[in-house]
Amino acid sequence: MRKFILPLIQRREIGLIILIVLLTGVTAYINPSFLAVSNLMQILNNCAPVALISCGVMLVIVTAEIDISVGSLTGLLSAFIALLMSREQLGWNPFLVMLIILFLGALMGTVTGLLVTIGKVPSIIVTLGLLTALRGAAIKVLGGKTIKDYPESFRYLGTESLLGVPISVWIAIAAIAFTAWLIRWTRLGRRLYALGSNPQSAILLGLNERALKCFTFAFTGFLTAVATILIVAKLGNVEAAIGKGDELLIVTCVVVGGVSISGGRGQLAGVMLAVFLMVMIRTNLTYLQLGPEATKWERAIQGLFILAAVILDHVASHAKPAESEA
Amino acid sequence: MSTLVEINNIDKRFGGVHALKAVTFTIDTGEIHSLCGENGAGKSTLIKILCGAYIPNEGSITIDGRELPYGNVPGVGQLGVAVIHQESTAFLDLNAIDNVFIGRELRTSWGALNRKAMARETRELLARLQESLDIYKPLSQMTVAQRQMVTMARALAQKCKLLIMDEPTASLSKRETDVLFDNIARLKAGGVSILYVSHRMEEIFQLSDRVTVFRDGEHVGTEPIGNVDTQKVIQMMVGREVAEFTKRHEHKAHQGATALALDNLTSRPAFENISFEVKAGEIVGMAGLVGSGRSEIARAVFGIDNYQSGVIRVLGKAQRKGNVRDAMAAGIAMVPEDRQHEGLLLPLTVSANISMAVLQNLLCGPFLSKKKEGALAQEYIEELSIRTGSAHAVTSTLSGGNQQKVVIGKWLATQPRILILDEPTRGVDVGAKAEMYRIIRELAEKGVAIWVISSDMPEILHISDRILVMCEGRLKGELEGKSATQEDVMRLALPDLSEEGAILA
Repeated sequence: MRKFILPLIQRREIGLIILIVLLTGVTAYINPSFLAVSNLMQILNNCAPVALISCGVMLVIVTAEIDISVGSLTGLLSAFIALLMSREQLGWNPFLVMLIILFLGALMGTVTGLLVTIGKVPSIIVTLGLLTALRGAAIKVLGGKTIKDYPESFRYLGTESLLGVPISVWIAIAAIAFTAWLIRWTRLGRRLYALGSNPQSAILLGLNERALKCFTFAFTGFLTAVATILIVAKLGNVEAAIGKGDELLIVTCVVVGGVSISGGRGQLAGVMLAVFLMVMIRTNLTYLQLGPEATKWERAIQGLFILAAVILDHVASHAKPAESEA
Repeated sequence: MSTLVEINNIDKRFGGVHALKAVTFTIDTGEIHSLCGENGAGKSTLIKILCGAYIPNEGSITIDGRELPYGNVPGVGQLGVAVIHQESTAFLDLNAIDNVFIGRELRTSWGALNRKAMARETRELLARLQESLDIYKPLSQMTVAQRQMVTMARALAQKCKLLIMDEPTASLSKRETDVLFDNIARLKAGGVSILYVSHRMEEIFQLSDRVTVFRDGEHVGTEPIGNVDTQKVIQMMVGREVAEFTKRHEHKAHQGATALALDNLTSRPAFENISFEVKAGEIVGMAGLVGSGRSEIARAVFGIDNYQSGVIRVLGKAQRKGNVRDAMAAGIAMVPEDRQHEGLLLPLTVSANISMAVLQNLLCGPFLSKKKEGALAQEYIEELSIRTGSAHAVTSTLSGGNQQKVVIGKWLATQPRILILDEPTRGVDVGAKAEMYRIIRELAEKGVAIWVISSDMPEILHISDRILVMCEGRLKGELEGKSATQEDVMRLALPDLSEEGAILA
């Protein structure tokens, strides 16, 4: 029994695939239209922004830090998009605005990284502060309004498809491929894992802790900006509550995906499967026609998933090495 | 043979502690050079300087004629110094390839990692060490010996000239140790110098070309291994002047009934089959190297840790496992090794600390009586002559010796019948030490059974009626307090020696 269960815990991907298959089966049984290609594309489209930000937050958590400010950063960046791009407002060139937003996202991430590494403030505290501060700024910038009317060329990013697959999904795939390459084929990626695995040894080997950690936060900020652009392009209107609670969803995905909250361990594939699972749960709750009750359940389920993942991680990391079991 | 490392007049101080005093010696190319000394003799400090973690206050170290870049770990690595530390410095979440190459990864011409080349080289390096393990498996799933091989492969990959090994066999089996020794011989044949730090005399004599002995931060001597024997090395290790406490105390009071008895107490891997008794009014000293399991036994007796088998009896009554309340109720008190973290609440006042263990006696209705608390604190401040402004002074403002007295006061307030003292004079000055000994003797005369754990050899000899010596989790022997010498204790405390002297079953 132990021989069967332990690999399941240690290879998180297998467990996630089983859960996804089970959930798909149950939902399709209750509502067969769930399996339609258009619905599947809709779920993938909903996954895109979550997957983007998860790539960044995953790297942050691999270095044993955390970022819970991404939801609020989404809120503030979307407010800037509204203010600069909407034809009701300044009506700047959408391409220029997107560049500004990407720059601002990376900048905010870098500032977070500097506060953590040079300010030596624990990242949970820095990003908890930013969680509130950035949301507050978003509310102030929008002044309680909902801002609509964006150029069509911009809206295409969120509404159009290419070869039958939504453009935002293509963008997410590009980001996932880049992150996978970063982790597997670059010095930077391996060093992030080394730093999270044994920070003292890593520093003794001359790895630059500050630069590595700042990179993960900046990368997260940049991907959050990309995700924000896709969200606004899809919704077509901006209000202050955009991205609220997303930080919890994303940390859930990363942790449920098998990334150790204490750093050094975790695979991108697991995180992406977890993103798919969590977004599917959200979509399915709508399909089960629970009405406004659905989002309430979503939070409870997310929380339970985090707890289960952390406990499994604890079990896995305290399991005896393979030799002693034989 | 040519000289590889020249260590010249190295001096290192930490505040008031003089850890290394003008140490000078050399290591030859392709030599296995052992370094011995008691705990605290300065071995670790020298290693940390050699690997670039500490900067010496004075002196110089050169490797192949080039001066070491002090305090710059990567720089020292580039000069060809690699260290295998006692505690694992490996990345347990990463596989062998990453562990060998992290920090100096091989890359292809267009900048990506050259995973193939790194895998091939890792395999080759491990093959040179006669080790064939799965290089894609994370180190967390390997044995300690395998992890050590990976660390050695890393050292090889760095083309290291000096390999420092700090107690590398501490957690290896006999067979794994043999494999390690074969590899050390191979490295030596390849021209690598090895600085080998160990407490195990047998290994030192089996491996080394020369041996250097440190004592109290001083370099006692460097001798070719053929010129010395175990006796001589031990003598060099302990032969310090012990002017202050050479006089033994002649207390030998009327010893009463057995207060504490341990019967085959076992908690692997910390300790095994420990049996001894402490009588009322007796002072039993327990010697041994750091890590020999002494504190762990004390923790088990006081009910902090659980244990696997055996019985603890207090005044003949068997104790429940792992229950501090029971232990306290039975009259056991323990002054822990780490007083700052385990013994005291430093931000609180002296009186709050002293009253901590007996709050239930200081109640006035449901409330804590400040008056009773103050009176209790005053009593122990006077009895132990704790030097403090008042009972309401914050404990962190007191000196180390006085802080220790506060811890003792806290436990005396529980009116213990058995007092366990773990390193009671660590970090206190000579005057406070003498006073601590006086307090311990007075308590014994009042009939308290006292069990002192100490790594301070003169202290053990000075204070104990009986000396128990621990070695690698076992009770290796028992000596008369009156007649024992430092050499006797050291011989029992060191592992892998032919077992002579009184051996307890």
